[in-house]
Amino acid sequence: MKSDNMSNLIKNGAIWGFIVLELIFFQIAGEFWSLSERAFMDLDNMLLLLKQSAPIGIIAVGMTVIMINGNIDLSVGATYALCAIVMLDSMSWPFMESLGDWAIPLAWLFALLTGAVLGLINGIIVWKTGVDAFIVTLGSMLGYRGLVFMYNGENPTYHLNWTMVDIAEWDLFGVETPALVFLAVALIVWFVMTRTVHGRNAYAVGNNREAAVNAAIRVGPHMLINFVLIGFLAALSAVTFYSGSGSVNPNDGMLFELWAITAVVLGGTKLIGGAGSIVGTFGGVIAIQLLRKGLGHIGADTATVNLVIGLILIAVLFLDRQLNVKGKEELKV
Amino acid sequence: MNIRTKAMIAGTTALAGIALASAASADAHGGTFTIGITQNNVGVDSYQTTYEEAFIAAAEANPNVEVVVLDAGGDVSRQIAQMQDLVQQEVDAIIIWPTNGQAVIPAVREAYQAGIPVIVTNSNIAEEGFDFVSSFSGPDNITQGSRSAEIMCDRFIELGIENEARVVQISGQPGYTTAIERAQGFEDRLPEVCPNVTLVETQPGNWNREDSQRVMEAFLVQYDDIDGVYSGDDNMGVGALNAAIAAGRAEGITFVGATNFAVGYDAMGRGEYWGSIYQSPVDDAEAALATAIAILNGEEVPFLNYFDTPKITQDNMDEFDRPVF
Repeated sequence: MKSDNMSNLIKNGAIWGFIVLELIFFQIAGEFWSLSERAFMDLDNMLLLLKQSAPIGIIAVGMTVIMINGNIDLSVGATYALCAIVMLDSMSWPFMESLGDWAIPLAWLFALLTGAVLGLINGIIVWKTGVDAFIVTLGSMLGYRGLVFMYNGENPTYHLNWTMVDIAEWDLFGVETPALVFLAVALIVWFVMTRTVHGRNAYAVGNNREAAVNAAIRVGPHMLINFVLIGFLAALSAVTFYSGSGSVNPNDGMLFELWAITAVVLGGTKLIGGAGSIVGTFGGVIAIQLLRKGLGHIGADTATVNLVIGLILIAVLFLDRQLNVKGKEELKV
Repeated sequence: MNIRTKAMIAGTTALAGIALASAASADAHGGTFTIGITQNNVGVDSYQTTYEEAFIAAAEANPNVEVVVLDAGGDVSRQIAQMQDLVQQEVDAIIIWPTNGQAVIPAVREAYQAGIPVIVTNSNIAEEGFDFVSSFSGPDNITQGSRSAEIMCDRFIELGIENEARVVQISGQPGYTTAIERAQGFEDRLPEVCPNVTLVETQPGNWNREDSQRVMEAFLVQYDDIDGVYSGDDNMGVGALNAAIAAGRAEGITFVGATNFAVGYDAMGRGEYWGSIYQSPVDDAEAALATAIAILNGEEVPFLNYFDTPKITQDNMDEFDRPVF
């Protein structure tokens, strides 16, 4: 039991060790390779990092809950794009235009509702058919993306509203809106997962579904709630990002599901479910964004960034496996 | 033990990254200007790949310039993040090849508010963003269209049919500025140079060879007499050519495009396609860098700073390299 705790501690702490390593590395490498006079570990740069982490980070928080359940959601990228389209397109509807800037909160509401409904559809199918979430959300990923293209063809959907941009760029002591939303989401979901019955049930369902059923946890509705949550969060991510950019391409959000999963796995959540933490995911998101940003800072190109992140992900999974193998050899008590 | 292993692996992967990275990064500190560029999607076609190579080569040839070369990989959010990073790094100027002409406007405004001049390259951003942009460097689509009209007219005069010729047009995707401007340039110029030539009909070919082929098939059924086909680019032009060949009517038709592609160049070599407009990614890249440097030197630069796109026909095609795209 004690060594179990040790191994958990190592796994949970590893991501933060890795982040520290990245910071030191880019700080020093930046001195040699970067063309910028500014230090990498500049406060502004770190705040910018938090802001840039927000789109994938908000989704990754939801993905953590889904993956602790032992499920996966591949449709978040398409949901993200579709909610962005609903938000931006709704603002040019005649009755919305007549509302002036009051259309903004209403457009946000439409987008968030859309996300929740899309998540609800996934959840109902998973609950009522018993088909694996991987397959269900693979289907809905294609389906939702199809809707995105049906909406406006290959063309971008566009509505630039400077009030909305100003809200998105508003800051509290230098922390801009997207970063605040990301922090708030992480905090709330962390509280739910660690301090509430729903959170404890999530681990129970992921760990042993049979036992969870026997313990009178209503697994179907439980999963449904989590799918609604991730749909909502994908929409929230779209709302925070597109309020500040005002235009969505039909292929936006592609591969977001994979980046979110990468962040979650880096943060120590198991693919088979039953274990994981929001704090770890937060670390995973920061680690990925640090890599992207840091490699850019020292002048590496995009292909290199992806290569390095891929290698690190494999390294992390390998380590995770080693730790688990060691766990299995021990006496079960 | 585990932490150490993990650290080691992380360290080695990071090192592997750096080894690759150092090749891509500019070589040394101490340049007069640092210019950052965020490109649309380098790997997606050879125009963009050649553009990047030419841009880096041009920057290396200039001892007064250091460049930070970034690629958004077609991802709008990544491009916005790159813009923010470049602002944060306090580069002297930013060149942007927009992934989305509207979505980047707020990011461009951030750079503008930070006092960094922004140069848009290749395709312009939407008008709402013009206030925040120092200059646009790229091809002039209207000139490309009007030069195509001149090529077409000159050919008709050579053939002696400038008083009776009938032309059809296959335009690009509806709604795209490039498509609209290339059509406009052609339609305005043709009556000026060849007042008796009739433009019978215009249909969109959506930048797509198959679509264009279908459009041309319909034209061939509808009209017994077609002397010229003008298309928004050579890709569509070759689609139209294929339709005409299939119908056995390619012989008497003059095919002209508004941008020369490799397929068009090859068809010109075979004598099937008459002419087009030559747009070089190398010129495009060099013009963008030159525009940025001129602005940093405080020179007066026109807001729309076009680079030259010359005419290419069967007669002078040996002066040009085969396009890479």
